[in-house]
Amino acid sequence: MRKVAQRLAAACLAGGMSLALAACALGDPNDNVIITEEQDEKKVNLFSPMEKIDPDAENVARSAFDQTVIIAEEKLGVNVAYRTYTAEDYQDKTYDDVTLDRARNNMDDLYLLNPDVIQILGEEGRLLDLSDFDCAKNLREVVKTANTVNGKLVAIPQEVVAYGLFVNKDMFDEYELELPETPEEFLECCKVFKENGIETPVGANRWWLETFVFAQGFADMYNGGDTEAEVAKLNSGESRYSDYMRPGFEFLKELIDRGYVDAKKAYVSEAIEGEGDDFLSQKTPIVMAYWGAANTETAYGKTDFHMQVIGFPSSHGQMPVVTITGFGIGTDAEHLGDAKDTLEVILSDEALEVYAETNQVISPSKNVEVDCVPALKPLNDKIEDNVYVLASNAGFKVEQWGNTCLIVRKLLEGATVDECMAEFDKLQEESLRK
Amino acid sequence: MREKQKRNRKDRGIPLLVSIITVFGLLAVVVFSVAGKISSEMSASAIQNLSESLNLLQCTIEAILENEADFQKMIAQRIAASEDPKQYICVYDRNERMVKISLILEGQAEGVSNDGSKFTEEELDFSAGRMVDGLPVSQSYLNYMGTWAYTMKCPVMKDGRELGTLYIEYVYDSLDQSLPTGFYNNKAMLYIMDAQSERMVLKPEGMGERSAGHLNLEDFYHANDIQEQEIRDKVEACLQDGKNILFYHDIRGKQSLIYMWSVNGGSIYLIGYVPVEAIQQEGRTVNQNILIVVSVMLIAFFLCCLLYYLNQRQQNKIRKEREAEREQHNKQLAEALQAAQLASNSKTMFLSNMSHDIRTPMNAVLGFTALLGMEAENPVKVREYTKKIMASGQHLLSLINDVLDVSKIESGKVVLNFKKFTLNDLVSSVDAIIRPMADGRKQNFHVEVREIKHEYLMGDETRINQILINLLSNAVKYTQEGGNIWFRIIGLKQRSNQFEHIRIEVEDDGYGMTPEYLETIFDAFTRAENSTTNKVQGTGLGMAITKNIVELMGGTIDVSSEVDRGSIFKVELELRIPEDNADKQFWLENGIRHILIVNSEQEECKNISMLMRDTGIWLDAASDMEEAMTLAEEAGREGYQLVLLDWDGTEGGGIAAAERIRDGLDVSVPILFLASYDAGGMEAALELKNSGILTKPFFVSALKEKILEMQQVGEEDVSEPEECVSLEGLHFLAAEDNEINAEILSEILEMEGASCEIAENGKLVLERFEHAKEGEFDAILMDVQMPVMNGYEATRKIRALTRRDAAKIPIIAMTANAFAEDEKEALDAGMDVHMAKPIDVGQLKKVINKYVQGKG
Repeated sequence: MRKVAQRLAAACLAGGMSLALAACALGDPNDNVIITEEQDEKKVNLFSPMEKIDPDAENVARSAFDQTVIIAEEKLGVNVAYRTYTAEDYQDKTYDDVTLDRARNNMDDLYLLNPDVIQILGEEGRLLDLSDFDCAKNLREVVKTANTVNGKLVAIPQEVVAYGLFVNKDMFDEYELELPETPEEFLECCKVFKENGIETPVGANRWWLETFVFAQGFADMYNGGDTEAEVAKLNSGESRYSDYMRPGFEFLKELIDRGYVDAKKAYVSEAIEGEGDDFLSQKTPIVMAYWGAANTETAYGKTDFHMQVIGFPSSHGQMPVVTITGFGIGTDAEHLGDAKDTLEVILSDEALEVYAETNQVISPSKNVEVDCVPALKPLNDKIEDNVYVLASNAGFKVEQWGNTCLIVRKLLEGATVDECMAEFDKLQEESLRK
Repeated sequence: MREKQKRNRKDRGIPLLVSIITVFGLLAVVVFSVAGKISSEMSASAIQNLSESLNLLQCTIEAILENEADFQKMIAQRIAASEDPKQYICVYDRNERMVKISLILEGQAEGVSNDGSKFTEEELDFSAGRMVDGLPVSQSYLNYMGTWAYTMKCPVMKDGRELGTLYIEYVYDSLDQSLPTGFYNNKAMLYIMDAQSERMVLKPEGMGERSAGHLNLEDFYHANDIQEQEIRDKVEACLQDGKNILFYHDIRGKQSLIYMWSVNGGSIYLIGYVPVEAIQQEGRTVNQNILIVVSVMLIAFFLCCLLYYLNQRQQNKIRKEREAEREQHNKQLAEALQAAQLASNSKTMFLSNMSHDIRTPMNAVLGFTALLGMEAENPVKVREYTKKIMASGQHLLSLINDVLDVSKIESGKVVLNFKKFTLNDLVSSVDAIIRPMADGRKQNFHVEVREIKHEYLMGDETRINQILINLLSNAVKYTQEGGNIWFRIIGLKQRSNQFEHIRIEVEDDGYGMTPEYLETIFDAFTRAENSTTNKVQGTGLGMAITKNIVELMGGTIDVSSEVDRGSIFKVELELRIPEDNADKQFWLENGIRHILIVNSEQEECKNISMLMRDTGIWLDAASDMEEAMTLAEEAGREGYQLVLLDWDGTEGGGIAAAERIRDGLDVSVPILFLASYDAGGMEAALELKNSGILTKPFFVSALKEKILEMQQVGEEDVSEPEECVSLEGLHFLAAEDNEINAEILSEILEMEGASCEIAENGKLVLERFEHAKEGEFDAILMDVQMPVMNGYEATRKIRALTRRDAAKIPIIAMTANAFAEDEKEALDAGMDVHMAKPIDVGQLKKVINKYVQGKG
């Protein structure tokens, strides 16, 4: 008993001593002066669009981009601040409008730019020439072609954006329809759908209907034609843009007239927001969207039906439409040096590989290749075969992507095809006057 | 008693357990309530802190707005004071805060901006009536720079007259510089919302989600899954009234506190959320620490309990062990006491017996010695008395030998002497000893040997003999007159080819033993006592000696007995078979190849065949005379070289059968009768030519001896008379320290015509021999235990002398040290032979004859 008491006492003493030691380790109680220092932080402001997010969905595309930014932050010790804009509705300023304003007022360092904005800002000389960047050396030619303005490579993308038709294969099978190759076949499919009670066979928004126009207008030019010569003729006024655009516009007009596209709804709809729900709920068998939408749960990455992504109908069959977006740096960026370093990292092969693998997209770097999801295979096969048209080409004097979008909106508002063509002629004349 | 103790322990244990559980339950309730209280107080404190932080932000923004308003008023005053207000405007460059300054003069619809562009109020919405320091503030809008902005307008007054209105556009981005770069360790989210349009106009750096740039309040609700209409309505009401609102909601699986904090009377709002775990971090830490302290205390308590329990258990174990040890000790003590008492009783009884047994012959010795003195002149009486004295002395000697044997065995000093022997010799010697004893008591003594495969075996024949004599003499002793005694040697199944496995059975139909006695039969100093056996002489050590010897040989002994029915002792031994067991050469030399056995007992035929197996002889067995005659005829006159004819089991009598066989065989073929010891009419059988008697049981060695004997009889009809042994004329040197013994020795030798010189110790013998002439003494008779120098040392020294006869002179040990190792030591010391006292005159004469006269 006595031994037990001794042992207990020893244990308590040991415990007490450890607690006392622990208390001593807390610090010197007399030292009550705390001095803090603010550290200068390297900072880069990035302006980019932001999709609206769902509470339970992960934005894969954004995550992939974030990963590359994290690589840059870790490597350079820089803090990349995201500045975003999303239009609330069609009456709001578009992202492109805001980007132009911000770039012109030198509000940010890095910008994620759409093709039309690249061309405009490039023309205005507000974007830094990236030709000498290390990350520019491994770029595919198509990227360089699309984003070179006046001999300067003004923007480099993290992915080559290919647009295609997202079709509900189950519905096509239900009505025993082959996937359309030509505009005529497409119209026939729409007809069958319409006859079978599908109110709007083609879901559309105010942004991407122009892809039909590019597919039909430039199918010949980019697939067997003398592209450079044709571009030169357009730039010199020898050829007319309207001649290229007319078939597509007439085709869209027919879609609208036959009720295959709800023009009014499309005119006020944002991309995916307007038509996405109907497509996912299988009310609409066809929508148009970009490659990444097939990988993103917030878009069409998770469907309850068999989805396939095919090219737009053209005289050359199914035709992918490729646009090249890109990151550009303002020439008078506040944090120019850090912005250049950051861009080098997020566009390096290492970062592009992470991006492409996460997002399963076509990388702009020749050195990075990844597999695509099965739904994208038909579209990917075409691109692999170099069958595509460019929706943006900085070599054109008339910017296409933005202008065509605006003119398509006029068509949606009720303008005739001729009136739309007149708009193109007007733009071409303005460009010739410069 | 134990049950009661257990119940008491249980009765004590349950209330103790209940008390402990109650104490811990109370402790848990206290800790839980304290933790809860701390948690709620910390929560309230955290909300207070959050409110204060938001108030700080609110005040900061309001101060900025007021500064902007004050500055705008000041500019308005300057413009009023300037000569050309429009020109004054154009002088201003935009800065980070004021990005556009415009003036519309009174009465005009269009004004001018500092960048020279035209300006109208059309695009601005002042309808909400928001004011800062008395100046109207427009709804937020996206300005020409692509960022969110608001415009304040201020009248330009001069001398009480309004000259125009000053519009200054401010960007929300400028507020960012005055806001902290995050709070709650960057876990709190914050956006600035224009209350009228519900658009998010600023995401302060470090305070918004990187992956979510909320567009408006609806988008904020959607992204954070705030769908409850009730909450939304309340928020809407608060926004309308410019009130602050806080509410809890899960955001991405984490409970969060969502706040909407009114700034500038509700014109703009601070909107965001912070996870509850972030604001209650201190509370959680405190609670965690409390839990750690409580856990440590509990662990310490349980550890102490465990230590106490283990200690108690150890103590109990030790106590129990001690108790068990004590009990065991007590038991052992009791047993020892009992054993000691028993031993004491046994030894008392033994001493009593011994006293009786020794006194009896001693009485005879002394009595007859007295009588001898009186009747010295009567030679007949003298011879009779000396014979009786001799018998009594022999008995005394056997008693002493037994006692010594027991003491030796018990002290582990017995050494077995393994030698080759034959069962024939063993059985013969035992038979020779026991049969007379049995005959003396008119008992029938049956000897039986069966299924033995090898009769030549390795073992200590003397000790086996001792076992058999002990068992059989007991059987004779404890069987009434006219009873039966059976002595059997049975071959068992061999466990190894190298060993013969035998069982010796000694059975009688005598008095038998009680079960109680059977338990102690093999203990020393016990003897069956009843009215009958009290008449029996003995030390009571025989069975103890027997058992010890059997076990020493690696065997077992077993006994079963019933009172008045008899007893049976079974001894099992495994004896090594000598390698040169087979002796085919003998048979070849004697030309015996084929033997005819005539015996009606199949069992006996089988035993004979088994024993003869290794001889290489062909055996034919005939169960009756007819068969025997047939076999004899078939074999022809030269077919058999020997006939073994069973005396007892042959039809028509042994003689008749022998005669019939003789007719069929050559006269040179010996006929041997196999007869039991007590078979009658054997004299007639011996009259048959070339015949002999072989006593049962059959042994090959006996047969061989018989064959040799018959051959010798043939060669020398008259055997040589026994050699006459005499010590006449011999002169001995004797070492003997005991005067009586010395005198006896001298007398004996003188009676035999020899002379003797006595020396009292070894040293004197040595000196005497050293100085003696060569050949003066014929031999030295050496006692061993002597003062000054013992016999061994004296012998060694004599043998070491350089005298020519030192190495040759026979030295005969005559000692009371009668054990085998004593003999060995004597021989090792250089003596020629060892003789145990008391001196047997006949034996002495033989030995002396062998070593002294044989020498010549």
